[in-house]
Amino acid sequence: MPETISVQDLVEVYSDGTKAVDGISFEVNEGEFFGFLGPNGAGKSTTIKVLTTLLRKTAGKISVAGFDIEKHPEEIRRVIGVQSQETVVDPDLTGRENMMLEGHLHQMSGDGLKKRVDELLTLVGIADVADKRAGHYSGGMKKRLDLASALVHKPKLLFLDEPTTGLDPQSRAAIWGYLSKLNKEEGITIFLTTQYMEEADKLCERLYIIDQGKIVASGTPESLKREVGADSITMTLENSGVATQTKEKAKEVLGAIQGISKVIESDAGITVYARNASLIIADIVRAFDSNKIRLTSVNFASPTLDDVFLQHTGRRIRTEELNTKQTSFARFGARRRPVRQ
Amino acid sequence: MSLASDTYFLFVRALKKVMRNPILLFFSLLQPIIFLVLFTQLFSRFVGAPGLFPPGISYLEYATPGILLQNGFSSALQSGTSIVDELNSGMLEKMLVTPVNRSAILLGRLLSDAFRVVVQSSIILVLAYILGFNAASGAGGIILILVIIAFFGLAWSGISLAIGLRTRSAETVFGIGGFLTFPLLFMSTSLVPLKAMPDWIATVSNLNPISYAVNAVRGLSLPSSALPGLGLSYPGDIISALGYIAAIAIITLGATLYLFRKVVK
Repeated sequence: MPETISVQDLVEVYSDGTKAVDGISFEVNEGEFFGFLGPNGAGKSTTIKVLTTLLRKTAGKISVAGFDIEKHPEEIRRVIGVQSQETVVDPDLTGRENMMLEGHLHQMSGDGLKKRVDELLTLVGIADVADKRAGHYSGGMKKRLDLASALVHKPKLLFLDEPTTGLDPQSRAAIWGYLSKLNKEEGITIFLTTQYMEEADKLCERLYIIDQGKIVASGTPESLKREVGADSITMTLENSGVATQTKEKAKEVLGAIQGISKVIESDAGITVYARNASLIIADIVRAFDSNKIRLTSVNFASPTLDDVFLQHTGRRIRTEELNTKQTSFARFGARRRPVRQ
Repeated sequence: MSLASDTYFLFVRALKKVMRNPILLFFSLLQPIIFLVLFTQLFSRFVGAPGLFPPGISYLEYATPGILLQNGFSSALQSGTSIVDELNSGMLEKMLVTPVNRSAILLGRLLSDAFRVVVQSSIILVLAYILGFNAASGAGGIILILVIIAFFGLAWSGISLAIGLRTRSAETVFGIGGFLTFPLLFMSTSLVPLKAMPDWIATVSNLNPISYAVNAVRGLSLPSSALPGLGLSYPGDIISALGYIAAIAIITLGATLYLFRKVVK
């Protein structure tokens, strides 16, 4: 299978000196559903911006759809569809007008364009509101319109930068549905970035896990999880935030238990990996009890992509994300309350 | 090929955006209309003062060209806010990943700004006509007046777009635009003839591009007998005004183009 994206040693340094992408290489094959999984600030969006000709690379060799990114950006723009992380629709135009404009800018016109737009509006389920202004749409509808407008010109290659971030579970599931369909039925190559491991796991045939501008692991979701090789047990200790002594003691106790292959400490607590975790939980609880270490929670799970990330980086993808979101949400709520009364 | 069609589609889009925000359009017209009605009442008796105005000219006839241009440049000074909006909303990036002609993005915007100024000027002209204003040079003169105002607006749009591209802040565009409007307006012959000004303001007014544009419009709207009394000549003033406007446009639009290329890279 010919590769449709080829990236060799891409480096992207911003003018303030920040190294957003630090020497990554990968290939995406035609027809593949390919993903970048990583936390905020990992370099995912930067990579997409370089690949979609918006940002000039600092160093590296890149071709997209067979064209060199530096020499033939116009050719690339003709065959790619892009949905950026922020939902971008013109609020003053109707859904249909937004899509028609996108078609016009791709030199499409006439009945062919009209038909294509109708088809896509139906596909993403907004045909009934197509002639209302997009500014009145819900967040999920705007996102779907944005996705549909990236598809007007039948791109061979679709770039999606966190297509479901901030969406409710229902809209997310709907978008997953269209994406699978586009990839399987229309053979569109999809390059997706996400910070949701569930999304990466469900959609992507092949994944690169990226952190701080570097690729930390790659493979199919199954092979990556298999690499973890064991179930995980995550526990939080009473007062764990305060007493490092307790944590040290706990790690010592865990180290002595037979069958535990790895102990990792993260802001979510202590995670251990073991092949037969269900049997070992009892050993852990007993050992902690006799050492007077008090547990507040114990979780047991089959390996996920988050465990892959944790094993490679010592951090979890999710916990940080949720925390920052909650605080900003709380602040927003507090600011608005007096206005509402 | 794609420059023409892309410009057309982006022009239509920008117009739709204006038409669908009638409140914005209404308020941007409100100020010149208030000026038109209020100033022509307030200053109407000054016209009788000996030596300041040529005989037989009402203040309405004198000030309407000034108010038309004030509207032209103050709305052009706000046009940079739209490019800031495109930059910050991600709309510009969304366009840049398509094969759209890069210059068309700017050209579509400028043309719609010019069109908007023409529409607004026409509304002001109709209102002025109701109040008793009449262009001495007839329908052809009115068309030429609208053309002058449109080009004048384009030149000023360049300043605003350049500020918007450079600062990426709508507040800054508004702030600088608002700050420039009144000194430029009052230190020109828009509302007060040169003879009535203190010397230093007259000096500034003689350098002020607004004065040149106003003189050109007056050359078309006032009866030719009244022109010498205001120190105007026809068609000499129109030609020099167009030259002046072209010079400003080259500088401001050149800066805009340079900054836009840098953003688009």
